[in-house]
Amino acid sequence: MTKGRASVRPADYPPPFDAAEAIAAPSDPPDERIDVGLLIVGAGPAGLACAIRFGQLLEDAPELAERLGDVPVAVVEKGKQPGSHLLSGAVVNPRALRRLFKDREKKVEDMPFYGPVHAESVYFLTPKSKTRIPAPPTMRNHGNYVASLSQLSRFLAEEAESAGATILPETAADKLLVDGARVLGIRTGDKGRGRHGEPLPNFEAGSDLVARVTVLSEGTQGHLTGAAIERFGLQGENNQVWALGVKEVWRVAAPLRRVIHTMGWPLRAGARYREFGGSFCYPMGEDMVTLGMVVGLDYRDVELSPHDLLQELKTHPLFRRILRGGERLAWGAKTIPEGGFLSLPKRLHAPGLLLCGDGAGMVNVPALKGIHYAIESGALAAEAAFAALRPGQTPWTPGALESYDEAIRDSFIWTDLQEVRNMRQAFGKGFWLGGALAGAMTATKGRFPPKPLGTEPDSAQTLIRTNRARRYPAPDGKLTFDKLSSVYASGNKTRDDQPSHIRIANPVARDIGEAWVRMCPAQVYELADGGSGDEVTVQVTPSNCVQCGAITAKGGRLTPPEGGSGPEYTLT
Amino acid sequence: MSILVFLEHHGNELQKGSLSVLSKAASLGAGDVYGVVAGSGVRELASGAGKYGASKVFVADDPALEAPLPQPRVDVIATLVREQSIDTVLLAQSVLAADVAAGLSARLDAGLNWELVDIEEQDGKLVGTRPALADSVYVQVGWKGEPCIGIFRSGTFDPKETGGEAEVVDTPVQLEDFSTAATMIEQAHEEQQGPSIEDADVIVAGGRGLGGPENFTLVEELAKALGGAVAATRAVVDAGWYPYATQVGQTGKTVSPKLYVACGISGAIQHKVGMQSSSVIVAINKDPNAPIFEYSDLGVVGDVHEVVPKLTELVKQRKRSAS
Repeated sequence: MTKGRASVRPADYPPPFDAAEAIAAPSDPPDERIDVGLLIVGAGPAGLACAIRFGQLLEDAPELAERLGDVPVAVVEKGKQPGSHLLSGAVVNPRALRRLFKDREKKVEDMPFYGPVHAESVYFLTPKSKTRIPAPPTMRNHGNYVASLSQLSRFLAEEAESAGATILPETAADKLLVDGARVLGIRTGDKGRGRHGEPLPNFEAGSDLVARVTVLSEGTQGHLTGAAIERFGLQGENNQVWALGVKEVWRVAAPLRRVIHTMGWPLRAGARYREFGGSFCYPMGEDMVTLGMVVGLDYRDVELSPHDLLQELKTHPLFRRILRGGERLAWGAKTIPEGGFLSLPKRLHAPGLLLCGDGAGMVNVPALKGIHYAIESGALAAEAAFAALRPGQTPWTPGALESYDEAIRDSFIWTDLQEVRNMRQAFGKGFWLGGALAGAMTATKGRFPPKPLGTEPDSAQTLIRTNRARRYPAPDGKLTFDKLSSVYASGNKTRDDQPSHIRIANPVARDIGEAWVRMCPAQVYELADGGSGDEVTVQVTPSNCVQCGAITAKGGRLTPPEGGSGPEYTLT
Repeated sequence: MSILVFLEHHGNELQKGSLSVLSKAASLGAGDVYGVVAGSGVRELASGAGKYGASKVFVADDPALEAPLPQPRVDVIATLVREQSIDTVLLAQSVLAADVAAGLSARLDAGLNWELVDIEEQDGKLVGTRPALADSVYVQVGWKGEPCIGIFRSGTFDPKETGGEAEVVDTPVQLEDFSTAATMIEQAHEEQQGPSIEDADVIVAGGRGLGGPENFTLVEELAKALGGAVAATRAVVDAGWYPYATQVGQTGKTVSPKLYVACGISGAIQHKVGMQSSSVIVAINKDPNAPIFEYSDLGVVGDVHEVVPKLTELVKQRKRSAS
């Protein structure tokens, strides 16, 4: 630990950002606003499932479709195309997809999956060896399918378009339009501003998109979701906490025939480190694998770098063997909401507004699953919106969308999340005690412990220092890679001369500056030259950003950059 | 096989990129190669395409084609494809050409391969090459049906004169109603000062290793001595040391000079993809492990502040003794 320096917390340096900035009244004159029926923010599994389900319901309700105007369903997406910003493991439970496409021609077998899981192994790793352990009940994957979420969502986007949805890519949802107590839609982000906000020759102002019902399905770290939770007082029992996942896709010489999960090394088990996480490695057909490392962002070590942990992981004999003779094809990073049941917003709706998927925190951490909850919640949101739009109904009166909360409570999302509600928090007590407590929770289906365990925000953990970085392998450009070439492999070619979309306090305590430098997998933060002493100035390169969201968890705030910026994931 | 190349013009000149694609198409020797020029008062330009290998140039000359709008050009080319049994349309990437290619693909229900960097004939069929996965690999691409449409990345080839003559054929212009719905209100040009780094034969580029904006004078002096242009990396442009217009790399300009001198540049892949096709790359960097040495023809491990002024002096001496 650092001597002579008081321990600091990122939360002590709040970013210059107020959630109220993300909320506004409509500013375009009424005849210039763009009217849509159902407005969905984010073309991920939740948003696209919502669009598909709503389209199915409209098929049998032509009068309603008529009444909703030229654009009955619009989906705004900040990435270059649906899937550009999507990254997950992923092993997908097909349950929600089967329900979404029941009575349709589409079968799970026809969707872009890399086949069902036939075999799986869970290992506890030490630096040079591995011990196979039985898969915990929550982690059994028989009957689930391996997928690239980016690819799966491009498929869902095509289905949504054939169901009548209009997808608006390269469009950032900048502000939530609220009039009094009612959500009216969103304002899209400006395009073509220079570094200091000045309009460039190609400047294009954002527009007001006004809708009967607005569905926020922004995924982890939703910009408007966070603002809406604050504006409408929807905060759940616990605050949200996140993990950061960094992953790569490799072309390999020999096929992998099973899914692998590991715990232990390169993370440390001691309670004081708070290093909760593990790795995954899944086959993608005969010639590709994906592997990644996930670490809870409540970790404390200034020198912890999830990207470098993944590089270190690949030097383990288990992974060296799998990757031998292979070549890295893609890289990416994304946060995962890990608070679970107790961090869910206390209501999932407000007048004219519905919250879905990862944005609302619908992730089952012990099972490493969230995609099927996203899809299910999107479909249920569509059903609630549809019911509230029938003749005589007004979706913007308080309680009109209550049926969505009821449907979620009746769904498998609720029962699944409730059973594991205290598990993530238990691991704040270290790996071994956490593991024992998790076992007791599984055995009692969540009834143990009787009182809910609380959480602290990730940014409220005091930082420690342990010279962890000495052990990260030097990048060799073959097995291990530096951050910049990884950003390149994410397809990121963001325009450099746009305003910074990252808000951080500056200058900050040295430990905090260094923690951000290490944490960020995309080399967005560097310490300005000559920054000596206890306070440092952090230099930000926003165009490297892959919008993983870690900075929001760890004391800053990510806001949406110009639409079309960021990574262009295709295989992740 | 009959190939039609879209010849874009600007003022009274056919664009270098279009002529490059034309001479590449002619060099395939895979059948007839035609050009098409569409605009107002452009008949004079057409014959100039002969020496780049077009045997015939179709001219669509009509006041309605004055503005550089895509849809009327799609009408012209679609008609030619149908009436002249054209099986392949090739274009050189530009804002206009990209719109024309996309429009044509939709109109003719034709396959479009974009960002091509090469094309060849294999067993009577055309096969293109294009970069994939963020330029990390090249893939070969073909077309399933006809017509085939291909658009080439700018700066891929140089135009080659072969000295032929083209027959100039007027083609009637008939526009669809929806093609005239758009009108041009204003055309704006970016003002450029000094020599463009895209056209320079010699580029001297500076990176963060220079230590500060004031040291860019070292780079400027070497560039002046060599008669070249000055370029910069993203890091120094970001830091405000040098203007954005000089940025080379993934999110800046792509250059291919005869000589590229990199001063204090580590050479991350984001920089590499903007200058890797330079004929000769010389790198000066004090870090022997800098990635730039992996793709330099000549590397100097040393302090830019010492090496660059000496180099400038040597170049000046050599020039003095030569004159």
